[in-house]
Amino acid sequence: MDYALQQLLNALAFGAEYSLVALGLAVVFSIMGLVNFAHGEIIGVSAYSVFLAAALGLTSPFVAVLLAVGMAALAAVVFERIAFRPVRYAPTTTGLLTAFGVSIVVQNLFMLLISPKPQSVSVLNGLNQMWFFGPFAVSSLQVMELIVSGLTILALVLFLSRSTLGLAIRAASRDFATVRLMGIKANRVIATAFAISGALAGIAAVFILARRGSVSPDLGFGLVLKAFVACVIGGFGSLPGAAVGGMLLGFIEVGLLVALPQEYAGFRDALTYAIIVALLVYRPEGLLGQRIELGDKEI
Amino acid sequence: MAGSELSQAVDQMAAPTGAARSNNALVRSLIGGLVTALPVLVIGLLVLNFAPTYYTFLALGAFVNLIVVVGLQVFMGNSNIANLGHSAFVGLGAYGVAILSTPLAMKKLSIPNAPFGFATLELDPVSSALIALLVVGIVALVSGKVISRLSGVAATIVSLALLIIVHSVFLNWTDLFKGNQAFFGIPKVVGLPWMLVFAVLAIVAARLFKDSRWGLQLRASAQSPQAAAALGIDAKKLRLMSWVLSALICGLAGVLYAYFAGTISPKLFYFQMIFNTLAMLILGGMATVTGAVTGVIVLSIGLEFIRSIESGVTVAGIQMPQLLGLSGVALGVVIVLCMAFRPSGISGRHELDELFSLLLRRNAK
Repeated sequence: MDYALQQLLNALAFGAEYSLVALGLAVVFSIMGLVNFAHGEIIGVSAYSVFLAAALGLTSPFVAVLLAVGMAALAAVVFERIAFRPVRYAPTTTGLLTAFGVSIVVQNLFMLLISPKPQSVSVLNGLNQMWFFGPFAVSSLQVMELIVSGLTILALVLFLSRSTLGLAIRAASRDFATVRLMGIKANRVIATAFAISGALAGIAAVFILARRGSVSPDLGFGLVLKAFVACVIGGFGSLPGAAVGGMLLGFIEVGLLVALPQEYAGFRDALTYAIIVALLVYRPEGLLGQRIELGDKEI
Repeated sequence: MAGSELSQAVDQMAAPTGAARSNNALVRSLIGGLVTALPVLVIGLLVLNFAPTYYTFLALGAFVNLIVVVGLQVFMGNSNIANLGHSAFVGLGAYGVAILSTPLAMKKLSIPNAPFGFATLELDPVSSALIALLVVGIVALVSGKVISRLSGVAATIVSLALLIIVHSVFLNWTDLFKGNQAFFGIPKVVGLPWMLVFAVLAIVAARLFKDSRWGLQLRASAQSPQAAAALGIDAKKLRLMSWVLSALICGLAGVLYAYFAGTISPKLFYFQMIFNTLAMLILGGMATVTGAVTGVIVLSIGLEFIRSIESGVTVAGIQMPQLLGLSGVALGVVIVLCMAFRPSGISGRHELDELFSLLLRRNAK
C-alpha cells in the first residue's frame, strides 16, 4: 500500500512537471503557431542565472526562486523580441526551425561561456527533504511540485478567463486579426503569452534544480522534448490537452518504471514514446484535439 | 508565385500523358540531376587526385553528410514538414551492416552474445548492405504510416520521438549494438570513388522524385492542402512515399559511413548529426536538390574552419583557449539568420540547370 501510494505520488509529481512545461508550449503555440523548441533553453537560462547568482553570493532560496521565475519570463520575452518576431507571420515550419536554431545557439553559449560540464547548485537543495506523515515518508519536493503546479494552473485559468488581457489571449488563439481590430496591440498579447510561458518554465526550473542540484547545458532540452510529446498526445495547441497529456505522460513513465524489470530500465524512454506513437495511430489529432476539416474557420 | 506547383499539377493531371511527353520530362529531369551533381563530381575528383589523405578523410565525411542532406531534402523539401529524426535511419543503416558484415573474429571480441545467431553470421558487404536497407525500409514504412497521418507539427515531434526510440535501443540493447561503446571491425570496403558514385545516384534520385508526378503533387499539396485535395491528390500516400525514399537514402548514407570509417558509435547518429545536416539544408535552401548540395559544400568548408578555431589556434604567437561550443553557436546562428532573412536559402526556388536555362533565355532576348 505504501509502495503504491509512493508511486502514485511519483506519477503525479512527474506529470505536474510535464504539464507545466507543456502548458508553456501550448500557450505560445495556440496564439502564434510557434513550436518553441527554445523553451528548454528558457529553463536553462533560469537555472544558470540561479547558478551565477549563487556564485556571486546570493544564496537565499527565496531570492533564487524569484530570480528563476523572473529570469525565465524575461528570457522568453527577449527570445521573442530578437528571434521570433521576424518570423511571426512565416509558415509553421519556418518558426519551428528558427526556434530549433535558437535552442542550439543558447545551449552552445552555455557551453562556451560557462562550461560543458555540469555545475553544482546547492541553493535549492533545502526544498528536497523527507516529510513523515505517521507511517508514510514522502518527498517534500514532490508534494510541493504537485501543489504549486495545481495553484499555477489555477492562476493561469483565472487569468485567461477573468482578465481583459487573458480574454485577448484566448481570442487571439482563434482569430488574431479580429483581436487587433478590437484595438488590442499584437505585440502586447504575444509578449504576455511569452512571459506566461517563460514563468511556467521558470517554476519548472526551480523544481528541476532542487531535484538535481546541478546545471548543465542540455538541462531543459530533454524535458521539453517530453513536454512536446505531451502536447501532441493532448492535441497540439489545446491548453487542457497539454495539462492532460503531461499527466498521462507522467503516469505512463512511472507505470513503466514499476512494471519493467531492472535490466530493461534503459528502455523506459523508448517504450514511453512507442506507447504514445501507438496512441496517435488511433487518435492522430490527440486526445483533446478536435478533428479540423480542411476549410473550417471556427476552431 | 504561390500556387505555381499547384497549377503545374493541374496541367499535368489534365493533360493526356502521352508516352513521348513523359519521356521528354524524364530525360530533362535526369539531365537536371546530373547537372546538379556536377559540382559534387568535380570536387570529388579533385580531392581524389590531388588532396592529401587527411583531406580525403574529411571529404568522405562530407559526402556522407551530402547523402544525408539529399535524403532529408526528399521529405522536407517536397512535403514542407520538418523532419528531426532522419539520423535514426542513418544509424540503422550503419548498425545494420556492422552487425551483418563484421568478420567473425571481430564479433567474438565485440558482440559475443548477440541474439538470433548474429554472433556466428558473416555476410559479404553487398548483401549486408541490401539487408540493412531492407530493415531501414521496413522501419520507415511503419513509422511513415503514423507520421503521414499527422498534421505538420505533430509529425515533426513524432519524428523526434522516433530518433529517441532508435537511439535508446542502440544504447541499451548492448548484446546486439554494443551500447555506448564504439562498434569496431566493420570491413572498410568503400573509398572515395564508390562514395562519389552513390552521392551522384542519390542526387539524381532525389531530383527524379521531385520532378515526378508524385513529387509535384506532394509539393502542390504542401502549398495548398485544400486545393490539392480537391484535385484528388492523396497527400498521405505521397508523404509516406517520400518518407520511405528519404529514409532509404539516409540509410544508404549510414551504410557508406560504416564501410568507410570501420567504427561507429550511437552518439554519431544523434542530435549533432541532426543539427549539422539541418543547418546545411536550410542554408542551401530546402526547396531544391541544388540547395541541399550548395548547403553541404558551403557549410562543410565553413565548419571545418570554425572547428580549427574551436580547438584553440595560435594567433600571432598567442595560443587562444579552446572554445567548445563555437561550432554549435555558428550552426544555430546560420539557421536563425537564414530563417529570418532568407527562408528559401542560398539557392532559392530554382535548380542549377533551371537557373542556367533562365540565364540563357534572358540573354537571348
